[in-house]
Amino acid sequence: MSLWVDKYRPRQLSELHYHSELSDRLRSLASSGDFPHMLVYGPSGAGKKTRIMCTLRELYGPGVEKLKIDQRVFVTPSKRKLDVNVVQSNFHIELTPSDVGIYDRVVIQDILKEIAQTQQVDLNAKQKFKVVIINEADALSRDAQAALRRTMEKYSTNIRLIMCANSTSKIISPIRSRCLLVRVAAPEEDEMLKVLKHVAKKERLTLPDESALSIMQEANGNMRKALLIFEALRMQSPDLSSSIDIAKADWETYCSKIADQVVQEQSPQNLMKVRTGLYELLSHCIPPTMILKTITGALLLKVDQSLQPSIIHWAAHYELRMAQGNKKIYHLEAYFAKLMSVLKNFNYMGLDDDDIDF
Amino acid sequence: MYEDVPTPAVKSTPKKSEASPQKKKPVEKDTEKPAAKKRGPSKDERAAEIASLFKCAAARRKKEGVEELDKPPGLPNCLAGLTFVFTGELNSMSREESTEVVKRLGGKVTTSVSGNTTYVVAGEGAGPSKLKKIEELGIRQVSEAEFYDLIRYRPSGGKLTEKQKEAQEKAEKQMKEEAKRMEKEEQATEKAQARKAVVAGREGIAAKRGPALSSQLWTTKYAPKTLKEICGNKGLVEKLGTWLEAWPANYKANWKKPGKDGSGSFAAVLISGPPGIGKTTSAHLVAKLKGYSPIELNASDARSKKLIQNATNVDNASLDGWFAGGGLTKDSAAGLEINSRSCLIMDEVDGMSGGDRGGVGAMNILIKKTRIPIILICNDASTPKMKPLNGTTWPMKFRRPSNTEMRARLMTIAFKEGLKLEASALDTLIESSQSDLRQVLNMLSTWRLSKQAMSFEDGKSLGKESQKYTIMTPFNIVPALIGPYAFSKTSRQTLNDKLDLYFQDFSFVPLFIQENYLKNAPARIPKGDDPESQMKRLECFSKAADAISDGDLIDRMIHGQEQHWSLLPAHGFSSTIRPAYWIYGGSSAAGYNPVSFPAFLGQNSKRQKLARLLGDIQIKMRLKVSGSRDEVRQDYMPLLASKIVLPLTRKDEAADAPESIIPYLDEYYLNKEDWDAFVELGVGEMKGETISSRIPAATKAAFTRAYNKVDHPVAFHRGELLFAGKKGTAPRPDFDEAFDEQEAPAGDEDDADAETPDPNADLGKDKLIKMPKPKRASKATPAASKAPVKRKKKD
Repeated sequence: MSLWVDKYRPRQLSELHYHSELSDRLRSLASSGDFPHMLVYGPSGAGKKTRIMCTLRELYGPGVEKLKIDQRVFVTPSKRKLDVNVVQSNFHIELTPSDVGIYDRVVIQDILKEIAQTQQVDLNAKQKFKVVIINEADALSRDAQAALRRTMEKYSTNIRLIMCANSTSKIISPIRSRCLLVRVAAPEEDEMLKVLKHVAKKERLTLPDESALSIMQEANGNMRKALLIFEALRMQSPDLSSSIDIAKADWETYCSKIADQVVQEQSPQNLMKVRTGLYELLSHCIPPTMILKTITGALLLKVDQSLQPSIIHWAAHYELRMAQGNKKIYHLEAYFAKLMSVLKNFNYMGLDDDDIDF
Repeated sequence: MYEDVPTPAVKSTPKKSEASPQKKKPVEKDTEKPAAKKRGPSKDERAAEIASLFKCAAARRKKEGVEELDKPPGLPNCLAGLTFVFTGELNSMSREESTEVVKRLGGKVTTSVSGNTTYVVAGEGAGPSKLKKIEELGIRQVSEAEFYDLIRYRPSGGKLTEKQKEAQEKAEKQMKEEAKRMEKEEQATEKAQARKAVVAGREGIAAKRGPALSSQLWTTKYAPKTLKEICGNKGLVEKLGTWLEAWPANYKANWKKPGKDGSGSFAAVLISGPPGIGKTTSAHLVAKLKGYSPIELNASDARSKKLIQNATNVDNASLDGWFAGGGLTKDSAAGLEINSRSCLIMDEVDGMSGGDRGGVGAMNILIKKTRIPIILICNDASTPKMKPLNGTTWPMKFRRPSNTEMRARLMTIAFKEGLKLEASALDTLIESSQSDLRQVLNMLSTWRLSKQAMSFEDGKSLGKESQKYTIMTPFNIVPALIGPYAFSKTSRQTLNDKLDLYFQDFSFVPLFIQENYLKNAPARIPKGDDPESQMKRLECFSKAADAISDGDLIDRMIHGQEQHWSLLPAHGFSSTIRPAYWIYGGSSAAGYNPVSFPAFLGQNSKRQKLARLLGDIQIKMRLKVSGSRDEVRQDYMPLLASKIVLPLTRKDEAADAPESIIPYLDEYYLNKEDWDAFVELGVGEMKGETISSRIPAATKAAFTRAYNKVDHPVAFHRGELLFAGKKGTAPRPDFDEAFDEQEAPAGDEDDADAETPDPNADLGKDKLIKMPKPKRASKATPAASKAPVKRKKKD
């Protein structure tokens, strides 16, 4: 049994529910015979991968949907063995080099080059080139991106790259200039509603508008999340009434608990408890930025309005530090220490923009 | 970046202390009169010395505008017989300095208040529990100024009570007697040697005389000759003796009679303890006293496996030759004779390494076969290298002898050698050498070569010179950095000293600081729970946390691609010293608060492990799911948990749960291990342990059984695993049997099916996938469930 989100995933460009202009463009690109390198970017759950797969199907036909996974082991210059999972069909290959962290350059150099140097062997293939999809391209290190540059040009007869990223800001401009940038924006509310209704119809359900609205509010433009929440809601209350509160994810509940803790009491002891909570989230693979964002979001609802600007300021400050530093917990902890200090200050002295210095 | 860390005031000029005793009222006026107001000729020198001792604090205090107190030098031994306890922070002296002053003047300092305490010197922020106890015990509490007056007006030698005097005299008498006895013994040995030489000379043999006693090292000269003379560890030495005595009997009993203390089942003992406390000496002495002739092998002898087996020759049959040959054909080990009354002493066993490879293992073999007692000696029995000896030897842990034990013996020796030794000087020596008797003795004998007396200062400087270099662990570095007086006005540590502490272990100290800084109550904020100090305290912590965060950014530059190792001092300041500066102080919680080990390390490896598990789950799901790792964790897992985990926790659904869960698992190619990982990845209400405790054991077992009963699709095989399986030695007979039925030649129909949107229909038609079906033979279960399902996935 499959989850609805996977069951009703569109497989052809014509099945897509929104961004129809984009679909048209992709279709004409695929049929032109001069398919460019692409950099597909947009927020999580907007439909990037779905569109990429649809485009590939347009390029090669249904054969691309026959996926298999390969695990490749290769050795880094420092003799460390690394496993890289490669998802591939006969016509394309999909890599996630950021899985191996700082060794992503080696993956790009080794695997990508190896693929690029061989030609398409299947004579029946519609296209002469193979497609390489690079997932999480914005997580690639600078070295890896530099390694990509030349490969893209040199072997363009054999391969086309489709890179998938959340934002283009972390991708170096030489790469950006070699790609066709394709932005997949998050769906608008009416577009999401269309998809939800479509799924409801297929499942022979009626989705009340209020429930749909609360689902979309919760999903915040993330189509994947919306469909998952929809199915969860269906499990919670089979009649899909909107009266029931949508259950939050385990980690979201945990984050708002930490936010409560921060607001409740500001003391070193409590900060230590917050630290334990942060460790719990971090060790269970919740990305630190997500933690900071979610807790801050929950906090903002609980504090005095006049404090909100300064909280957002500090959140941004420490988020940047997290990106620059190694040990995320240090910056998260510094953020919460700062927040507690700000809150305590506010409770005692009222609003005071200056930092009190000794 | 660091401008608000103060530079310690060390360059200020010393303020010379000019005592003006007349102006101050003596604290003990009612009972004592100021005895000596005059100063001897050497007083000026002394005063300068003391003044220099105080100068650092004075400079600080001057800066802070605290009224300067005169610091009197005091007369020698004027605090004799008094016991002090310091509590709180004094204005002019750090804790170490005040302790030193008292010790120099012959007094005693203890850390806790007891009935023996004479005075409690209370400074700023004295501990309430101490003050309470003082009241209970009726002990006199004095201020800092009164403490100085006490020093100023007490006569030389102090005023001892009758009892104390008596005790002192008695000790002195005992010491003199002992020294006399030693003298006599020495003469006797010398005479005996001379006599021997004469006899030998008559027989025409060249006299083999040992070196004259006067030219021997003190450590040899005063090595204990009777059990009574051994310092400390008396009980263990006695036990060693009884063990040696019982050895032949135990040998005959084939080590079957453990005896009262269990020593009867061991053919060897393992003595461990720090250096210089008499392990080797005790072993030799006891062996000799029990009639054994000790054979010593130490680190200077090669002790490889082969050599131990051959050279010691202890269990060799040729030992019989010795009995038969009446001593003519001698067996030897390291050039020594072996007979049934030999005793092998293996010194410095933990030094067996490198070239002595396999030494410890060979020792064990030797111990099993030995016919003579073996005494092994090492410094640390807990090292992994010593592990093989754990079960085969009787452990004996020698402790450092107590100060009193050592003092008595050393004073006697000093007296005999004509060295005038102050008790306080000896104490500092013992302390600085960490109760290493041998080292103290060597230091004294060197000193005696040029001088006849040793004062407290002499002892202190000598002790400092020959101080052993010890590597500090983070567990004692952290208290030194964030302890109550680390940055206080009387602290003597410069920033460089603190940086040295960081460099003791620069990768671990920052982690420890980060783990422990929140437990402090910053000393810079007054105690109290009013909102203002709470607020200020939080600001301190926030600043400390910011500094740690800065430190991490620097760490990134050091350990990142740039490798700017020259930034290490900056990292030290930012990650360690600056946070410590903000939050130094006592512990915020009452009671004993040990330094905790950084949780970061454990949490980080946990994160890595879970990330790996999540990666495994994600890549398997990848065939059906487009999301990345994070998206799977954040969006899929909550819903999927309610489909595949939660049904097991509900009583009413538990019975049907496996049937509803397994299709989902199969759809996403997840196996039982992935399910476990899935459960482990939850947080909060979905936390692994919480969920596991909510699933009844019976339900879980039923689920596992149901899962194992049928075969499941596999997304892919790990290259290595497959390889390892092929390498496996034992052929699995059930393997083929379990497969023959379903195995059909790979057809093209699976290609055609791939496009069918409904995966269930797909599964049904695909002959390569085994549909859930009950097992026939139970014996086939393990093989079949383990065996990879040969599913050629769409290629």
